[in-house]
Amino acid sequence: MTTLHPDNIMEGKLQSSSKVIVITCNWNAYSGLETAGTERLTYSSSVHPIKVMCLGQISPGIILKAFEKGANGVLMLGCPPGECQFEFGNRRAEEIYKEVKELVALLGYREEQFKLDWIAAREGQTFVDVVGNFVDGLNGSANNDA
Amino acid sequence: MMPEMKEFIDQNRVWYCLDCGKCGAVCPITRYERRDFASPRLLIEKAIHGHTDDVMDDALFWSCLTCKRCSELCPSDVYFSEFLRDTRTLARSFDCSGDCTHSEMVQTWGKIMSDADQKQNRLNWLTDDLQVSEDSDTVYFVGCLPYYDTAFKKMDVEGVEIAQAAVRILNHLGIEPQVLADERCCGHDQLWEGDQETFRTLGQINIENLKESGAKKIITTCPECARTLKIDYPQFIENHGLEVLHLVEFLAAQEFNGDTHLKAAVTYQDACNLGRHLGVYDAPRQIMDDLGFELVEMSRTRNAALCCGTSCWTACGQVSKSIQVERLKEAKATGAETLVTSCIKCQIHFKCAQNDPILGDEIDIEIRDLTTLIADSLMEHG
Ligand code: SF4
Ligand code: SF4
Repeated sequence: MTTLHPDNIMEGKLQSSSKVIVITCNWNAYSGLETAGTERLTYSSSVHPIKVMCLGQISPGIILKAFEKGANGVLMLGCPPGECQFEFGNRRAEEIYKEVKELVALLGYREEQFKLDWIAAREGQTFVDVVGNFVDGLNGSANNDA
Repeated sequence: MMPEMKEFIDQNRVWYCLDCGKCGAVCPITRYERRDFASPRLLIEKAIHGHTDDVMDDALFWSCLTCKRCSELCPSDVYFSEFLRDTRTLARSFDCSGDCTHSEMVQTWGKIMSDADQKQNRLNWLTDDLQVSEDSDTVYFVGCLPYYDTAFKKMDVEGVEIAQAAVRILNHLGIEPQVLADERCCGHDQLWEGDQETFRTLGQINIENLKESGAKKIITTCPECARTLKIDYPQFIENHGLEVLHLVEFLAAQEFNGDTHLKAAVTYQDACNLGRHLGVYDAPRQIMDDLGFELVEMSRTRNAALCCGTSCWTACGQVSKSIQVERLKEAKATGAETLVTSCIKCQIHFKCAQNDPILGDEIDIEIRDLTTLIADSLMEHG
């Protein structure tokens, strides 16, 4: 578990040249982020979260824009299957993900740089783990987050 | 009046518009724009009065298709499309830009490609049966086809199929063209939307790569790539001295005996950049004739053809849709089975309009790119 330790903060600062955009939906995924906050769990400071009402509303151009503006990686986090606030939003998010995945591959980005995942409500630790794995993947290191 | 504006007015001769207004009769935007009266003459009047803000707020300012239909009728040789191209650059300097319906997806991949260090992965469409080489004097310039193929997959557009067909046709003629792994978007949309900076960066990278290839001839399957590489690179960036042709121009100049007897009736959409911008009207028609297709022309054809309704992925909406529906109905009225075009963007825009479940049958006609049609005919008959 990552803790609020000066070393970790410093590590975060050192990584801050790398920008990671985490797009969460307003419901399960954001609740995960909020819980991580109230439980004082930390994650890399290179992470810049963006909350949207529903992950299915993100248009592919917005994700490409994040890469254009220098993001190292983009992680989309939504509600688990069957738990979407708007019923079809996370299915739509999967369609968007599939399309953008191909576009970013064409543009020459690595597979690790763009991912989609689900977070259940109030799962602060899961949020931190998923985001941590994503950031580790970007840095080319294995998951040593035990 | 801003000095730049005065210069654009002068060099594009638009002062003649004050006494005219004829092209309002053919401009598709004038016809369908309902929010506001929009016409080339009115926009020029605002410009000449020195009201730069009003010009940039004009309903035609970002929605003009630069289709050049007005130029075909203009009695005074006014460069209206070029005037907008230039003033849009000015607008960009005030941080003003048109609305892109796809969240700037296309502009953004163009921007990403303008980073010289970006290494794309754009040649996956090259299947084993396609022969390319590294020292041919011909480069096949693919353009954004692999990207459109992905972004508009849901609409079943021919994207990489066009690229594959082009190489197949060239192979059939004994040519194994070069294709460049490092090719960039040509920058057409950036130029006509006023983003000169990105246009120039993309163009410089492309010119460098093309010169490095050692090729003498560039063949494209996109009319906008053809125009941009042939006219705009030399005018704005560098006179590269390479010959640039759309595939149909190249094929019309070849001994090309398709000798097929398909006898299917087709109709043809002149893409603005191939027709009015580059003056290529006969080549595609000759090829279709050679291949044995029966061409049934729409009522407005060649230099009077109606644009497919959207340009530069900007300002698409009710006006674009109305233009597309009108054109599809015109195609349908010919009784042809297939609407043939030689531009991927025409195909995307028309297919998008065809998604309309209510109009359904009224605008339902098969849409094909001439390149894939030629390849199919050749393969069928060896
Ligand atoms: S562009 Fe030509 S036809 Fe149109 S208003 Fe101006 S002068 Fe007249
Ligand atoms: S270029 Fe086309 S859309 Fe633009 S003013 Fe002329 S006719 Fe109208």
